[in-house]
Amino acid sequence: MSEERSSGKKDPITRRQFVAGAATAIVSAIVGGIVGSQAFPKTVTETVTREATKTLTSTATVSTTVPTTVVSTATKEVTKTATKEVTTTVTVTPTVKKTPVKNAMLLINPVKCTGCMLCAFACAEHWIKEEHPELAGETINLEFSRIRPMRFQYVDVVNVCYQCRLEPYAEGSDKHPCEQVCPTGALHTVPEGEGKEGYYGNGYLWVDKDKCLGIDKCGRCLEVCEEQFGSGISYDPITKKAQVCSMCGGMPVCADACPEGAIEVVAPGRNGRVYAEPPEAKAELYYMKLFGVRRDL
Amino acid sequence: MAELYGVTGKIARVDLSREKVTVIEPDVELYKKFLGGATLGMYYLFKEGIVSPDVDPFSPENMLQVMLGPLNGAAPNNRSVFVTKSPYGFICLSFAGGQTAAKLRFAGWDGLQIVGKAKDPVYIAVIDDKIEIRDASDLWGKDTEEAEMELKKRVLAPIEYKDVSVLTKYDMTPQWVEIRPPDPEKTIGAKRLAGVWLIGPAGENKVWFANIITEGFRAHGRYGSGAIAGSKNLKGIVVRGTKGQRLANKAKFLSIMNDIVNKEKQSYFWRSYGTAGIGYWEAVTKSGFPIRNWQWEAWRDPRTAKALTGPFMDDASFVRKEACPGCALHCAYMTQITSADPMMDGKITDMPDWEAMGMVGGNLGYLEMPGKTPSDPYTGDHFDQAEALAKTQYTTMLFDKFGMDFIEGGALIAFLMELRQRGYIGPEDLDGIDLKWGDVHAVDAIIRKIVKREGIGDVLARGLFPTAEYFAEKKGKPEIVQYAQGCHRYAQPAHGTRSNKDRNPLEYITVIRPCEHTGGGSGAFMARDLAGGIEGQNFEAVTNSLVICMFANSFYGWENALEMVKAATGWTDYTLDDLHKVGDRYYALGRLFSLYSLQIKDPLEDWDKTFPPRWFEPLPEGPYKGARSVYNGDPEAMLADLREYYKLRGWTEKGVPTKEKLEELGIADITADIAKRWW
Repeated sequence: MSEERSSGKKDPITRRQFVAGAATAIVSAIVGGIVGSQAFPKTVTETVTREATKTLTSTATVSTTVPTTVVSTATKEVTKTATKEVTTTVTVTPTVKKTPVKNAMLLINPVKCTGCMLCAFACAEHWIKEEHPELAGETINLEFSRIRPMRFQYVDVVNVCYQCRLEPYAEGSDKHPCEQVCPTGALHTVPEGEGKEGYYGNGYLWVDKDKCLGIDKCGRCLEVCEEQFGSGISYDPITKKAQVCSMCGGMPVCADACPEGAIEVVAPGRNGRVYAEPPEAKAELYYMKLFGVRRDL
Repeated sequence: MAELYGVTGKIARVDLSREKVTVIEPDVELYKKFLGGATLGMYYLFKEGIVSPDVDPFSPENMLQVMLGPLNGAAPNNRSVFVTKSPYGFICLSFAGGQTAAKLRFAGWDGLQIVGKAKDPVYIAVIDDKIEIRDASDLWGKDTEEAEMELKKRVLAPIEYKDVSVLTKYDMTPQWVEIRPPDPEKTIGAKRLAGVWLIGPAGENKVWFANIITEGFRAHGRYGSGAIAGSKNLKGIVVRGTKGQRLANKAKFLSIMNDIVNKEKQSYFWRSYGTAGIGYWEAVTKSGFPIRNWQWEAWRDPRTAKALTGPFMDDASFVRKEACPGCALHCAYMTQITSADPMMDGKITDMPDWEAMGMVGGNLGYLEMPGKTPSDPYTGDHFDQAEALAKTQYTTMLFDKFGMDFIEGGALIAFLMELRQRGYIGPEDLDGIDLKWGDVHAVDAIIRKIVKREGIGDVLARGLFPTAEYFAEKKGKPEIVQYAQGCHRYAQPAHGTRSNKDRNPLEYITVIRPCEHTGGGSGAFMARDLAGGIEGQNFEAVTNSLVICMFANSFYGWENALEMVKAATGWTDYTLDDLHKVGDRYYALGRLFSLYSLQIKDPLEDWDKTFPPRWFEPLPEGPYKGARSVYNGDPEAMLADLREYYKLRGWTEKGVPTKEKLEELGIADITADIAKRWW
């Protein structure tokens, strides 16, 4: 697949040194937020192969085996011809040809995200075609989007499913929590190699609309999500049936639509529940991270 | 009715006195004629007789409208406009960005019209077709930040809300239940997808220049829409829509939208610092920076100007950027103040943008070192510059938090500072507050008095010109009024007229929103190309009727705007000429509204000549030292241009649309009886 690099242009300073400098705390937050979240002893990233037609710098982050928080970022050369680093805030959107990321997850950078909702417009468009082709020709409706930016004054939270799983030793199951509590089996994992073409991934979440009871009669999936994890389920405004992010089979349209590069598609190789928070809790955490103070919402 | 696209054909009329909601269904011809937004709102103010001088702005009869255009919703660069009669009596068209306008469209509405007055504080909750008037007593008195977060929680759509728990332990595995049993009290409702427009304490206390705020810092800035909401006991409007928007030609619409976003992505100017980027250049290349109540428009030492410029402010305090829906310009920056002064340190606010930099930063004398004037060399270092920035941000934050306009407010405080500088007033006139140039603590104290309308604050809360008249009378010195910088009895925003590089003073006189800086056509006016100026103004009027962003409209242009309207609405026979006519209607209606509502006898003498003499006095410092506007110090030359401008608009030479013009525009039925008194 892609050319993988375990080493690259080393970041001259460690994350800890970054944090030490108060003036650069924010920069640290940007780098640390993404990089730190991937600091994981064993590097298992299958990164997206991109063929760039224009200049493009993909800041693929590859963790090293160095213990604790010392993390290097590798600037990945995309093709032989496209190596120019984009250093200004003007980024040229490349035309990319991609392959899906297995076991994919979305990581959203709260510093880069501007809350412009272009991710949600793209997602809604993707799903309205899938689920309501009769409306797709003339309607734009963000309710079909599985990714929902929410604005909390000074911070934007992009609410999405983080692919939580239960831990078998503690919870007696390795299913997704929403999947576990679904009384009809409507919300289920499609195993790898099965399901829709192009959606292979490492299995993906899917709602069987014929079986789903809908929020009026049920709502267990969202209730358990909001009680113990995040708020990753939404409901179709017309059928009232559950909607969940299927990661577009490892090539999410939201990430492509983002003009800021704030959405990264990664294969974290770990349980997504560590990223999940209800929107308000995320907003409060982001607020702490960005402004260094606590604010109750 | 034929099927509607883009617009929904429904406007809700909320009567707060009778606690009733009715639905108005305007004919599609009305949309074609007025498009929506500002112009459609003005049409209703005429039709319902709100324009009449007998309707007091603060009376229950006044109508507060929030109106959308056909593009609001799916189109990039959504904005919202509040249309009402301003506390000052003239037209109030007040715009802001943010997500709430799109949400109102997705709820299925083209606008809300609010009349009457609630007995107790209320907020209006819009959830799709359902509109409720709900109690807001517990939120009255709270600032915009706190109240908005609370309101967001209270309005949820049926598909994200459930007030009974359905999850039981039988749905979970036994081991799971053992460690984290389901909470029967826990219900569904963690999503926060509503949008909020609301007022702060300033609006509640009917400060004449109070704002309607959204998202903490986006202000429907000028003309006092917040005071009108306050007079109706309306704390806010909360909107959650799940219906989406229908477009006649969605594929075309999306392709234009995509082009616009892609063009926006190439914009270095907007994507780097937004309007915060212009501070230094406003001073050193245009010489239009408001300094100390416009006594200066540039500093002798360019280093002084650096404190309020994008790159420096970014280095010192910008944290992240925020965008309106669908926009890649993200012109707003969230910031945190760092200061040696504990009053300001750690506070969280936005930018400042250009208007705040000008009207608060330069105008209140924050940039100069203590005891120095703008004509002195700068002796400070980067920390001193950071303190100047902190003062500007802190003052802006106060205005946003309390929900007040910092253009009128900044001009007002700068005016008082100049009166103190000239010895007309002293601390004894301001309840003991000594308003020295650059004293942020004195500014903090006076703002709090204005918000509470306490002591002298009750006088100041009526804004710049009423305050000037108050002190002129109190001191028996009529010359005091000349230091009030503005025209049409409203404060001049942050773009100077005295150099011949920034703005033509004529622009401030011709715009229908008194003394606005966003009227369009500035370049043409500077070249004294009046026809070009009208073209620019009309495009801005169309922008304001579509209620899209004037920063983004340079990525649209007339052609794209027309194509977007056609793709959204399916009006295949709609032409550029129709769009131009909307601009003409906007100008005719706005002009007549203010003249009639304020009962102006002679529009030229009594209204258009209300500009300050300083506009034509030589600049004391800077690259254009000695300049006296594009008219070289001759107001008569400007008035000659004004008469020419009126002729080009097809108006009488006193600036009143003629009978023929009103008939041509198809608005004679609502305006002829009003206009005829000046024919």
